[in-house]
Amino acid sequence: MRQAAIVVALLLSAVPASAHHSFAQFDRSKEVTMSGVVREVQWNNPHTWIQVIVKDEKGRTTEWGFECGSPNMMSRTGWKRTTLKQGDRVTVVGNPLKNGRPNASLVKITLPDGRVLGPGDAPPPKPLTKRS
Amino acid sequence: MLRVVVLASLLVLSSCTSAKQPAESSPASRLTGVWVAVGTFEDPAGPPPWSNTPWPSNPPFTEWGAEQSRKLADITNVVPCQPGGPLFAMQDVGIFPIEILEAADRIVIKPENGALPRRIFTDGRSHPNDLEPSWMGHSIGHWEGEVLVVDTIGTSGRTRGMNGVGSNARVSRDDSKPRLPTSDQLHLVERIRLVADGEILEDEMTITDPKAYTEPLVIKHYWQRRPDIEVLEYVCNERPRDSGDVIQTKEGGP
Repeated sequence: MRQAAIVVALLLSAVPASAHHSFAQFDRSKEVTMSGVVREVQWNNPHTWIQVIVKDEKGRTTEWGFECGSPNMMSRTGWKRTTLKQGDRVTVVGNPLKNGRPNASLVKITLPDGRVLGPGDAPPPKPLTKRS
Repeated sequence: MLRVVVLASLLVLSSCTSAKQPAESSPASRLTGVWVAVGTFEDPAGPPPWSNTPWPSNPPFTEWGAEQSRKLADITNVVPCQPGGPLFAMQDVGIFPIEILEAADRIVIKPENGALPRRIFTDGRSHPNDLEPSWMGHSIGHWEGEVLVVDTIGTSGRTRGMNGVGSNARVSRDDSKPRLPTSDQLHLVERIRLVADGEILEDEMTITDPKAYTEPLVIKHYWQRRPDIEVLEYVCNERPRDSGDVIQTKEGGP
């Protein structure tokens, strides 16, 4: 792998957070971890992408894309459209593409303020307000 | 002048009040709003007592149904952004909300996950004799007390299966659930009602499709009222890069 700070680890299979297309192109048995700088957040429905510029130890840069869930699901799990901005330094964990291209399905991301957010999987329902 | 301002203020106040307090006179108006299914990826049933019926693990397939199920589970057959039908719209996992709207002669269910709404005509009309097959089919509804009974036929049979995220293809080795196809012979009868003091919507679906199944399937799905959520715009093929090979920026270039 060309990128620095990439850790590949076995991962228990997770259910993909997709409704409109398959996530089969991602290798769910591997995780990559890297730190970088946010270039852009593409807040799209059905799938948001976070673009991160990663620099390796030789100073070469690669742009990685991390696919997330829908804005609606993300909003229900702590995300806002403005949670990340260009230039933010983040640490990202994802399941990489099987074809080796620098895209991944987001597993979790550490924000500049230390908070850790997931890809926006469908959260459980809220507690009912009345007894039924 | 003062009188005009006061009158205008009262009108604005009145319209605000009515917007926040929709008429509660009809059962349909009580269905109006945004709803999110109670299931999650980890727990598709959702918490009791309002838990979704699990999809059958050994469906009563016809030969055609079994073959279609195998095709749906094969990733190579996936058509990105294939519309879902009426059953996929009423899915069990709370991924995308639905919005229910009431008009004088119909109830409209707009799922976030696609462009196509479900129109349920409640003006007493019948299904047309010369029905044009469509993705969502033709739905007519009537009230039995507080229960909305919806009858749907006329689907094209070209939709995704009724269950399964990820375009219905198996996406990981732990997902061995059979995909559930529907055909142009689908006859869906739904009994939709509110439970849990109106916080939960129950949709009991009786799925009769003799081309795909030898006997009807009966499942219940539950949805939670979520006035804090809006149904968003959804453009399935925006920035498509399922292969992972294309990175599109706002400028549209790689």
